Amino acid sequence: MIELRELTKRYGDKTAVHDLTLTVEPGKITGFLGPNGAGKSTTMRMILGLDRPTSGTALIDGRPYAAFPHPLREVGALLDAKALHPGRSARAHLVALARSNGIPTARVDEALETVGLAAVARRRAGTFSLGMGQRLGIAGALLGDPRVLLFDEPVNGLDPDGVLWVRRLMRTLAAEGRTVFVSSHLMSEMELTADRLVVIGKGRLIADAPVAEVIARSSRNAVRLRSPRADLLPPHLPDADIRRTGPDTLTISGVPIERLGMLCHELGVPVLELSPQAASLEEAYMELTGGSVEYGVRGKADAR
Amino acid sequence: MTSRPRDGGLPGAVAAEWTKLWSLRSTWWTLAGAFALCGLMTSILATDTVHDNTNELTQDDPGVLVTSDLVVAAIDIVQFVVLGLAILTITGEYATGSIRTTLQAVPPRGRVLAAKAAVVTAVVFPLGVLLGLTGTAVASVLMGEWGRTTLAQTLGDSLAIGAYLALISVFMLGVGALLRSTAATLTLSFLLLMALPMLLTNAGVPLVRHVGDALPSAAGRYFMNGEDSPYAPAAGLAILVAWAVAATVAARTSMRRRDA
Repeated sequence: MIELRELTKRYGDKTAVHDLTLTVEPGKITGFLGPNGAGKSTTMRMILGLDRPTSGTALIDGRPYAAFPHPLREVGALLDAKALHPGRSARAHLVALARSNGIPTARVDEALETVGLAAVARRRAGTFSLGMGQRLGIAGALLGDPRVLLFDEPVNGLDPDGVLWVRRLMRTLAAEGRTVFVSSHLMSEMELTADRLVVIGKGRLIADAPVAEVIARSSRNAVRLRSPRADLLPPHLPDADIRRTGPDTLTISGVPIERLGMLCHELGVPVLELSPQAASLEEAYMELTGGSVEYGVRGKADAR
Repeated sequence: MTSRPRDGGLPGAVAAEWTKLWSLRSTWWTLAGAFALCGLMTSILATDTVHDNTNELTQDDPGVLVTSDLVVAAIDIVQFVVLGLAILTITGEYATGSIRTTLQAVPPRGRVLAAKAAVVTAVVFPLGVLLGLTGTAVASVLMGEWGRTTLAQTLGDSLAIGAYLALISVFMLGVGALLRSTAATLTLSFLLLMALPMLLTNAGVPLVRHVGDALPSAAGRYFMNGEDSPYAPAAGLAILVAWAVAATVAARTSMRRRDA
């Protein structure tokens, strides 16, 4: 379990993470979403004691990271696949990690086997592709058989096979009762992987809810109505968000589909189509973070 | 390599640093470079001595010299190769980003520094002793009758070279942790160990000379070669230890405060 309490990080007058309070629970995959510069990596670095919070605390199973005598046996993390010396072999990199935490070196070969790097174990890490580097980083995270795992953009640079493999691995880890906290900017990936979502923008918490709830709460959950006399409806729906999406098609959100059906019946509007349009996580996310894109063109989120 | 779980802690951190040091090719190249440069420097100094003693000019004759003293002089230059090794153990990690992996595995900053200092000492001290012994051997062969070699003197000087190189390496390791940049740390080491001492020890103002005498390189020279020194060799050693400890403590404070 990871607990953040009013976690704040400022660089000068710029606030990277603002008053973040959340709990990442064991046994499920918690997705950590946000646009670039939202503060995801900074938050993860603070959890691991690499960056000092300006204020607030980050606890893992009730203790700060630095309080663990063998942190790699408690918490496995892949932050940056390039955070290793390019001149060192994959195996030597892992052996050094294992020895620092009193982990049997037999685990090194197991971990290399798990991530599919056994054949290149003695090659220098600098010669690895980005995908191989990610796998090596994941091997390092798994080395100590930890109960808590943090992955920062783990599928970055992986081929489709690798993406599938990471997804299955995270599922397995969560099913074993471990805490899995994974950041990504790929909403589609999170939709397939995560059980719960934490969304931040400009360092502030935007949403913290199960994936299904985030999607359901989106106002993009709309109803599509196709009718030659669709124009009759809007005057009767003052609260709804209505967009014309075709010559005789309206996309209406904020009104239950049942009420629309009844209304059409009352007004005598012939209905050619009346269908619910579930928002994708991507749309829900764009809507949530639209106002909080750190590096982006203003209004871009609305320009779909 | 054992497959039994061990305790981690400081021994684990030292084992990890040891593994990291020897799994880099640069370590081996540096060691080879140190021996090559030491051989070259002592050869130059030895042949110079012979030449000065045998040419027509009599004013420049140094006479018979203690061979290991030549090696001590050569260390003025050779030390920078050894320092490269020590500095890279920390600045190399900042350059590659692997410092974050190191600190994930061993969060206490003081323990990381202690482990690195222990490994650097364990490598550099015997390296320095071996450089002293091989350098003396090279010098004694080249100097012939103009060199005086006694076992006690050679052993004493070689041990002193080992101790000096180990302490100056730990000192620069601390400086490297403060500056985090290989180039900046190497540049500072040249300034601090070569340029500044030359500037200060030739100064007319006594106070400035005293400051120069307290620099780590001057302390090292007085420790290794007691002639014309303003204080005892043991005091030189103490000053060196103080510099190494001060740099390490400062480095620990900096690493605790700053983000990795």
